[in-house]
Amino acid sequence: MRERTLFFSAIIGIVLIALGILVATQVNLMPVEASTRAAAVDQLFRVLLGVSTVIFLLVEGALLYAVLRFRARPGGTGEGPSIHGDTSLEILWTLLPAAIVVVIGVYSFQVLTAVEAPGNRPLVVEVVGRQFSWGFRYPEQDLETTELHLPVGRPVVFQITSDDVIHSFWVPGFRAKRDATPGQISELAMTPTKIGRFPIRCAELCGAGHAIMTSEVVVETPEDFDAWIEAQLAMAGDPVQIFNTMGCGACHTLTAAGSAGTIGPNLDELPSVAGARRPGVAAEAYVTESIVNPDAFITPGFQPGLMPKNFGDRLTPDQIQALVAFLLAQP
Amino acid sequence: MMTATSAAGWRRYFGWNTDHKVIGVQYIVTSFVFFLLGGALAMVVRTELAAPGADVLDGATYNQTMTNHGTLMIFLWILPVVAGFGNYLIPLMIGARDMAFPRLNALSYWLIPPAGLLMLSSFFAGGAEAGWTAYVPLSIGGPPGQTLWALSVLLLGFSSILGAINFLTTVITMRAPGMSFWRLPLFVWGMLATAILSLTATPVLTAGLILVALDRMVGTHFFTVSSGGDPILWQNLFWFYSHPAVYIMILPAMGIVSEIFPVFARKPIFGYRMIAMSSMAIAVLGMTVWAHHMFTSGMDPRLRIPFMVSSMVIAVPTGIKIFSWLATTWYGKIRLTTPMLFALGFISMFLIGGLTGIFLATIPVDLHVHDTYFVVGHLHFVLFGGSVSAVYAGLYYWFPKITGRQYDERIGRAHFAINFIGTNLAYLPMFLAGLLGMPRRVADYDPSFTSLNLWATIGGFLLGISVLPFLYNALLSWARGPKAEANPWSSLTLEWQTSSPPPPQNFAVIPTVTHHPYAYGDTPGAEAVAAPATAGAGGSR
Repeated sequence: MRERTLFFSAIIGIVLIALGILVATQVNLMPVEASTRAAAVDQLFRVLLGVSTVIFLLVEGALLYAVLRFRARPGGTGEGPSIHGDTSLEILWTLLPAAIVVVIGVYSFQVLTAVEAPGNRPLVVEVVGRQFSWGFRYPEQDLETTELHLPVGRPVVFQITSDDVIHSFWVPGFRAKRDATPGQISELAMTPTKIGRFPIRCAELCGAGHAIMTSEVVVETPEDFDAWIEAQLAMAGDPVQIFNTMGCGACHTLTAAGSAGTIGPNLDELPSVAGARRPGVAAEAYVTESIVNPDAFITPGFQPGLMPKNFGDRLTPDQIQALVAFLLAQP
Repeated sequence: MMTATSAAGWRRYFGWNTDHKVIGVQYIVTSFVFFLLGGALAMVVRTELAAPGADVLDGATYNQTMTNHGTLMIFLWILPVVAGFGNYLIPLMIGARDMAFPRLNALSYWLIPPAGLLMLSSFFAGGAEAGWTAYVPLSIGGPPGQTLWALSVLLLGFSSILGAINFLTTVITMRAPGMSFWRLPLFVWGMLATAILSLTATPVLTAGLILVALDRMVGTHFFTVSSGGDPILWQNLFWFYSHPAVYIMILPAMGIVSEIFPVFARKPIFGYRMIAMSSMAIAVLGMTVWAHHMFTSGMDPRLRIPFMVSSMVIAVPTGIKIFSWLATTWYGKIRLTTPMLFALGFISMFLIGGLTGIFLATIPVDLHVHDTYFVVGHLHFVLFGGSVSAVYAGLYYWFPKITGRQYDERIGRAHFAINFIGTNLAYLPMFLAGLLGMPRRVADYDPSFTSLNLWATIGGFLLGISVLPFLYNALLSWARGPKAEANPWSSLTLEWQTSSPPPPQNFAVIPTVTHHPYAYGDTPGAEAVAAPATAGAGGSR
């Protein structure tokens, strides 16, 4: 009887472990692997998935089996056997999970140390979360942009903070996030390994615009990256550049700047409507107010509280003037 | 003299009453109302999320809806309903006539309706929009409703602390003769562990809420960065309570399951002492894991390690319980009554919740899935698939004892089926969405997540529908169901050794306990135990 139990247990054990390995190696639940970190995290994830599959099938299987096999006969009222416990079984199901936990813990620690270590001569990128867009600054080149470009294969260290409430900078393709907390700079080390465009999402509730606080990281060859930096620097001061750097295109359509956002009013119409929007307020004054004090007047059909209120601080009066003139001078 | 089921008797439930049985019912019914309200909010959330685009609600209204959904479910449904079960059952299970402090008990309950109204009124004062976690600075700058929210939670925490004092004192000092700690029913062990957590952790949240209220109302700067405040302080204060809070929500549920399995497998609970000690271990360990909610916060990276360790270690006592319940059914004579179905459902769904918890405990994976729909799936499997299943199991199991009437078994099974399917359909897709890149607390999402969200919405609507057979069954049976005997389930715990419902004094004579309450099968093959109450024979057969 004991040999039979051992035999069946062994068979079930082997089948379950095989299924676990199958699930771990064949099932892919993660998005594209775009960083060195992603490879290590996905490996750990797959191991956990395999172990969980085995445990899940074991327990659910046993449950199903028990319910079917040990069901009381209809109308039967007899008692079951008076079994209160089994010391060796209880020791087994305490020590075995404990051992699994220790192994997973040590493995996790190793993965963590490996992925969080900053690489050699990393590119430093400052990341600023603001309600409701991301700003990036390359201190090496003294460049501020709203586009995140990275050269493939070069380690990066993101220095992440916030101007207002807590946000969280997350690139699913890179497999890590770090909160953007006002008053502190949190570092996140990464090495992108794949050329392409990968979504950036805010992963900490930050207000009414939390869901729309998305962006994109463009990973490109080192040559393309350098060219992009050059182009950005060359355009500083240009109203279109200001428009794009400040992230206006995320919410506004402006054909002259190549943006098609729909969360805020369409700025192509601005030359024709600006003068009439607020009775008694001239077009230039209206547009200027709309930039520095956006909630003073909400265009009918749009929501208050979404447009950042600090452009007055972030832009010089000259920049604002240039922007306003540009917006009103569109054909 | 009025009985519990007389027409005039129902009035007792609407007034100040110090009978723990009345208070228990008050807790349970009141919290169920908030369950329905929180559930209605969930239906709104799932309607918004059925398709991408903020089509039903704008961002701010969505945030209010989502915040109040979570807040109602945690602070006004699960936390009070388990206190309700504790209130009703503890004195009966230990052979006492009432709680140690009956008037304090009534006060604990009566804090809840005004706190609930305060919470609901916050909707009309601009709403609380910062999630149930109310992170600063977002909640400091939020609309006026946020202050009402904070005050409401403060009141509810107060109620929780008072209840815990009562539970602990009652269990320690009022057990019937012969009821040693090793003869306590496992539900009481669960409540003991829960009360210790409530007492230790809640005051820290209270302190945090007071700081938030001061910052908002009086102009202090505990959390204002420009004045030297630290937003991370709130996270520590909040999670120091709110992690143990989840164990407060699950330990009584596990206790309910431990009561149900032996009765409907007709076998003793397997590994009684290990289950009791695991409850206490979970309580102690539960106080040491809180920063696993803060792995991405920028906290000192070295400090994250001990929290990862404790968060994984807590899986061991949890596993012991699951295996013990499983072993209880093995070789048993299982009767698939509605309580048993929900208890079995609890194990299968809590297992999923528990396993996904390991993914969250390991820091490298957590850095990817933190604050995503993976967490939403995990929390709903443990809290809805887990705690709510167990609450339903308990409601059905003790229905005859509390109301003196029997519910309809077929409608109960239908409820279980819809609930089980709905839960899995609603929450399994969420794991996938989170892994693939969908953050949580969003009114809108990338179109690539559309089908996952649609399935979740369908599951959510099924859950909304599933309440209907329950309400129909509960209300109709309470009013007109067949009269129940003292011990319809042939159970051995003390609450079944008195009438259904119990007399105001609980027992005609306080029983003397001679051994532990899971002695099923001590006369194998014989007729099921049906134990009329006899003086001095409680718990033995």
